[in-house]
Amino acid sequence: MTDAATRDKWDRAAKTFDLMNGAGPEKRWGAVKSRLFSLMQGRVLFVAAGTGLDFRFFPPGQQIVAIDISPRMLEQATLKAASYDGELELREMDVHDLEFADGSFDQVFTSCTFCSVPNPVKGLEALRRALVPGGELHMFEHTGSRLFPFNLMLRAMTPLSRRVGPELDRDTPANVEQAGFDDIEVENVFLDVVRLIHARKV
Amino acid sequence: METRAYFVVGDLLSTCVIGTAVGGVTGLAVPAGWSMPMGMMAGMLLGMVLALPLSLVFMPAFGAMEIMLPGMLAGMVSGMASGMAVAAGAVNGLETLAVGAGCGLLVFVYTYALNARFGGLRR
Repeated sequence: MTDAATRDKWDRAAKTFDLMNGAGPEKRWGAVKSRLFSLMQGRVLFVAAGTGLDFRFFPPGQQIVAIDISPRMLEQATLKAASYDGELELREMDVHDLEFADGSFDQVFTSCTFCSVPNPVKGLEALRRALVPGGELHMFEHTGSRLFPFNLMLRAMTPLSRRVGPELDRDTPANVEQAGFDDIEVENVFLDVVRLIHARKV
Repeated sequence: METRAYFVVGDLLSTCVIGTAVGGVTGLAVPAGWSMPMGMMAGMLLGMVLALPLSLVFMPAFGAMEIMLPGMLAGMVSGMASGMAVAAGAVNGLETLAVGAGCGLLVFVYTYALNARFGGLRR
């Protein structure tokens, strides 16, 4: 069953999402995201499509299913998906309750997603189930930090930030491990806060 | 580490503007004659409160975490330093602008040094 509170929060955020994230952050992270998404091959699940800001970084000719919990976000994503040079299907779905059969995808990609999923381990377990054995998880995420004083700041801001969007102090690599993924590799992009995480379902 | 001029300038601008603004407000809010710890605490609180909305001004143009985290730190450090300096009578209200700008510059350098050390690390 869809988490209505989370859906409503992101429906509200959809109005200003591109304004806050569409220029600076995307320009800053574009090269890293392009490098991450260049790994796409086979049947790909993209989790939390948002307004579709990331679609421009997808390599052409892929077969991608992109999900999001927010219908308002997907309304905006539809316009951007239309210009993608490949198969890009959008579906409204809660990552905790994936409607795909076991082993439906070769790869799963996320982009600033697991800072916001209410139960990240459960969500990651659902993604693992949807992957084929040997399937890959590739993530672009911001996480908590171990560096002083940023660790304290991120922890202090999280009670406020979670009301309007993401949590800022999550240990996503640990959540990936807890969800049963193997071969976990982490690459720092900015400090130890913005990170690429790669893992495999063995 | 970030090397693109647009973002380097944006990072420098955001930390310095936030530091300067917080320094200026702290200079107006904290009276000379307070104890230094009280001035520091008041400045730190002001810095934390002001830095987030000020960061939001720069984030759409220059980035998210790369602006917010140094911005918050610049606000906090600038507030603490300006609050202490004003309370001790070492600077006047206007001079706190320079103290704040200096704190912003320090935070910019600190963040880039830290990112040179930890950015790109793989494990």
